[in-house]
Amino acid sequence: MSLSSLLLPAVLFFALGVIARLIKSDLKFPPDLAKVLSIYLLMAIGLHGGYELAKADMAIAFQSIIWALILGFTLPIIGYLALVATRKVSPLDAAAISAHYGSVSAGTFLTAIAYLDNLSVEYETYPLIMLAVMESPAIVVGLILAAKARQTIAARDGVAKSTPAEESAEKSNFKEMLRDAFTNGSVVVLIGSMIIGAIADPSGMDKLKPFIDEIFMGVLCLFLFDMGMVAARRIGDFKQVGIVLAAFGVVMPIVGGVIGVYVGASMLDFSVGGSMLVGVLGASASYIAVPPAMRLAVPEANPSFYLTLSLGITFPFNVIVGIPLYHALAKAMAG
Amino acid sequence: MVSLYAEKMLNIISNDSLEEKLVCMFKKYGVRGYTVLTARGAGSSGHLADMSGFDANIMVKVILPESRMQVILESIERKIKKGHHLTVYITDVQVITPEKFDKTIS
Repeated sequence: MSLSSLLLPAVLFFALGVIARLIKSDLKFPPDLAKVLSIYLLMAIGLHGGYELAKADMAIAFQSIIWALILGFTLPIIGYLALVATRKVSPLDAAAISAHYGSVSAGTFLTAIAYLDNLSVEYETYPLIMLAVMESPAIVVGLILAAKARQTIAARDGVAKSTPAEESAEKSNFKEMLRDAFTNGSVVVLIGSMIIGAIADPSGMDKLKPFIDEIFMGVLCLFLFDMGMVAARRIGDFKQVGIVLAAFGVVMPIVGGVIGVYVGASMLDFSVGGSMLVGVLGASASYIAVPPAMRLAVPEANPSFYLTLSLGITFPFNVIVGIPLYHALAKAMAG
Repeated sequence: MVSLYAEKMLNIISNDSLEEKLVCMFKKYGVRGYTVLTARGAGSSGHLADMSGFDANIMVKVILPESRMQVILESIERKIKKGHHLTVYITDVQVITPEKFDKTIS
C-alpha cells in the first residue's frame, strides 16, 4: 500500500473536512451541496462512460450487468446473516443495514477512479454500468428480508396474522417501493447521462470536455471536503452503535471487496484497474439512495445504525484504507 | 377592527423521506393547503437531520377546523405505530380568512 494513495488531493480534502469538524471550525457548506455535487459527478462520469461504452463489447456489458445483479442480491444476504449471527441488532435493523451494503456509493467509486488515474492504471468502462445496476437490487432484498423478519417476530410474539386489507395495503406499498428503487435520482442521472454520452454527436461531446474532464477532479475534491465534514459529524454517534457494529462497518466492506475483486478478475476477466473497481462496488455502502428507502419501508429500524455505519465508518474506511487494499488484491488476482 | 377566527394548527416534525406520504394523507382527507419547512435538530431516537442533504428533517404545518383534525390524527397514529418517528403537536391559532381552511377538496 503506497503512501501516494493517501496523498491524493481528493483524499487530503476529505481529511481536511474531518479536521475542520473536529477542531469545531465554523466552516459550513450550503445545505445539499454534497447532493448537488454528486449529481454533477454522476453526470460527468456517465457522459464519459457512455461515450466509451458505445464502442465497447455488448456481450461483456451484458455479463457485467448479470454479475452486478448477482452481487446486488447476494451481498445484503451475507450482511444480514452476519449481523443476525452477532445477536447485537434486531432482524429489522439487520435488514435495513445490510441493504446499504448491497447497494453502492458513487462517491467511493469516483474516488477509486481518481486513485487509478493518479497511478495511470487503465480500467474498463463496464464497472460504470455495474454502478448503475447495483444501486437498486439491494433495496429490494432489504424489503424482502424486513418482511421475513416481521413475520418471524409476529410468529414469536404470537401476534395475529394481518387482515386481508392490511396485506393488500402492504402489497401496494411494496410496489411503490420497487418503483422508487428503480427510478431513484442517482440511477436516472447516471443511466440518462450514459445514454446521452453514447448517442450524442461526438463534436458536441468535444465541446463538453471542460465540463466532463477538466473540472472533474476539482469538483471531486470539493465533494470529498464536504463528505469529510458529514462523516466527522457522525463520529459522536459511535458510542450508540457499539464495537460489534462498528467492526461490521469495516469487515463487511472487506468481504464485499474480496468478492467484488474476485468477480472482476475471474468471472469477468477484467484488468487490474477494472477488477479493483468491481471490488470497490462490492465494498461500498450506499448513503444517498438506501437511507430514505429504509426510513420509509423499515421504520422500525434505527436510522442511527445504518447512517453512522455507512457515512461515519465504511465511507471513510474505503476512501482511506479500502481503495489501496482492493488495488493490492486486484494486483494479486488479476495481475 | 379585523375579525379573528379560531382554528387549530397541526405541526408535524418528521424525516423528509415521509413528505410524500404526509402530502398524500392530506389530499386523502381533503386538506387544501399545507406548508413544509426544512428543519434540523435532535430527538429522542438519536441524532437527527444535519442539513447536509443526507437524512434531512422537515416540519409540516397545516391549519384546520378542529372538527376535521381527528381523522388525520388517527392516520398519523397508525404511522407512528408502524415505527415512523413523528413529533406531532397541535396549537391554537387565529386566522382572518377562515374560508381558506374550512373548505375541502370535493
